[in-house]
Amino acid sequence: MKGKGAERSIIVETVSRVMIPFIQLFSLYVIIHGASGPGGGFQGGVVLGASFILYGVVFDITSGRKRLPESVNTVLSSLGLYIFAGLGLLCIILSSGVAQYLNYGFLPFTTHFEENRALSIELVEIGIGITVMAIMVSIFFDLAWKEEKRKKEGNKD
Amino acid sequence: MKRLPVIALFFISLLCALFIYVAEDIPVFGDPNSPPIKYVKLFSIDVEALEDHLERSIIPNNLMDEFEKRGFPRPSRVEKVTGMEGEWNAFISKEEMHYSKEEKYYWIKKKGNKLGVYRYAFVVRWIEKGQQETGTPNMVTYGLADYRGYDTLGETAVIFTAGISVILLLRRRGKL
Repeated sequence: MKGKGAERSIIVETVSRVMIPFIQLFSLYVIIHGASGPGGGFQGGVVLGASFILYGVVFDITSGRKRLPESVNTVLSSLGLYIFAGLGLLCIILSSGVAQYLNYGFLPFTTHFEENRALSIELVEIGIGITVMAIMVSIFFDLAWKEEKRKKEGNKD
Repeated sequence: MKRLPVIALFFISLLCALFIYVAEDIPVFGDPNSPPIKYVKLFSIDVEALEDHLERSIIPNNLMDEFEKRGFPRPSRVEKVTGMEGEWNAFISKEEMHYSKEEKYYWIKKKGNKLGVYRYAFVVRWIEKGQQETGTPNMVTYGLADYRGYDTLGETAVIFTAGISVILLLRRRGKL
């Protein structure tokens, strides 16, 4: 690929424009389905991050960044970890010191101990998914952005 | 001749031999009845009419003494394994450490003239009681998010740290 930037292919653009919503829907399915089948937060988060990365690869890096701005990305990358760790801390607070850290049964979602644990597992998976997605996207765009900047400077000289 | 490469070669070949030995020792993959997954052998004693006691769900006194002598928790009751001849499950009650309810703990099996006493591995409890305790049908997920929650929290923190390191090293545009 020489010249200014990569050449844009209509086929790749159209196909990925059609596919990206379905990839994102599939990733959400993987995260939510983690409790009852194969899947989980890590896998779903990686697939969701890969959809944003695909957008950044096929279209421009800058327009890819516009879809998931840097400020939102930074907030999301810590939000998932806050959900996970905060849920664990909430167990101690809401049971006033009876439960241990991450003992989800004491959260007052429902009246059943086991149901609380099942719901908390889902929430934890969502938190893991958010963090993994944001970190994947953040690493990719940081690396790609620098590469693009260097290429532009090289073209100028 | 330099001495360091020779010593290094010796240790590396020792490590290779160890790995080969360990790989030979691995049980058949996925077999739920293979010893390391199912039980740990504790000791074995002579049968001597203990079988009749166990058959009537009574724990014999010399078996109890044996547990006491070796420092294992005392079983509270014995039950026959359904459909198996000469096998019993022993339960421990709630005064023991780490368990809040009655738990299936020992596996007693008659082998020839000896009575072997085994302790069930944790995996057995994980498979049998996990769904009922956490309300989640997926064995991997309740392990990941509930039983090993600390581990998963650490893994997520590792990923977060990797991302933050890349931001600190590469993102030098004045704003975060």
